[in-house]
Amino acid sequence: MRIDARHLLDRLGKNDFAYKEFEDRFTELELWPILEALLRDPRLQAIDQVETAAPEPVVNETVGTSAPEPLSALFSRYGRGPAEPTDVAAERRGAQAQDVRAMLRHLSDLGSRGEI
Amino acid sequence: MAVIVCHGLKGGAGITFAAAHLAMTLSEAGAEVTVLSVAQRDTLPLHFGLQPALTLPSLFAPAEDAVLASGINLRSHTKAVDDADFVPTLLDLGYFEAGPDRVMVIDVPASEFAFARRIIPHSSANLCVLNAAPDTLALLPQVLGDASAETIARTTFAINALDETRRLSRHSAAFIRELVGPRLIGRIRLDEAVPEAIAMLQPLARYAPSSAALADVRAIGAAMVPALETPGRPWVARGEIAAASSSRAA
Repeated sequence: MRIDARHLLDRLGKNDFAYKEFEDRFTELELWPILEALLRDPRLQAIDQVETAAPEPVVNETVGTSAPEPLSALFSRYGRGPAEPTDVAAERRGAQAQDVRAMLRHLSDLGSRGEI
Repeated sequence: MAVIVCHGLKGGAGITFAAAHLAMTLSEAGAEVTVLSVAQRDTLPLHFGLQPALTLPSLFAPAEDAVLASGINLRSHTKAVDDADFVPTLLDLGYFEAGPDRVMVIDVPASEFAFARRIIPHSSANLCVLNAAPDTLALLPQVLGDASAETIARTTFAINALDETRRLSRHSAAFIRELVGPRLIGRIRLDEAVPEAIAMLQPLARYAPSSAALADVRAIGAAMVPALETPGRPWVARGEIAAASSSRAA
């Protein structure tokens, strides 16, 4: 640690800085197409399927993790077998887009509450 | 001897840093700890403040050849990744047994993911070290797609070198947190004291005792302790299971 940073922390009576003043809005999270592309990847379902198959874990409170939105709901319409009628497929695309936006909005909400 | 595997998706994530400090935390908690590096190019000694020219002794070298740093036994076994008998040999020697008193932390480079997959089912716990960066996120579907359900169920995650001043870094961390949920057992903030300690040939705890990264990685080590007695679910504390059960019963 640089001496000037050390002196500043000493004056503040702190050991380190935590950058908690940043808030991320939903519109900002939408800026990254890679997040949306990843959310549409059915292979990410694997982690959710394991979670639902296993007994519900008790979160160790000391590590400060937040309760996630169930991804099973998010991905439940992905990766199903043969093609469906066009109107149903369109409906699914709309639902998927909504789900992606819902998760991004959820992330944004957590950020505004200072939980992420 | 309980085994904890430290691994990752991508080189440079800080797997060796996490393995070294996990070992130090467990040692400070009273465990007899060995760290095993299987990397061909090994930086493990640097995190203990040792000289870069130091070559670690083999896992099977006699005790008089041991390198001890803060009471932690540092070993190397680069042939482990290609040795089909590695796991059976360790099983015969009494490794892979649960318990908090004797622990082996295995530092597996990201490139040796096949080796990591082989030993994780036998380990008490495993820690996947990630960076909150888009190239790391992009590897997640591939890794989860290749991994068995058992491996995924046993895996815990930590975000390393998190720069909370950067928007993309915060967003990437939020994405990981939402994806893996309670499997994310902590994050380690980006801290220039980490490379500085290496440059000073000092352990981080001596060079910068108030380091933010040190506090964070210690918290992660503490969160993994329950796994030594309850293999497979390190984020579940045994006392809390009992408490949760009794509250549900009530």
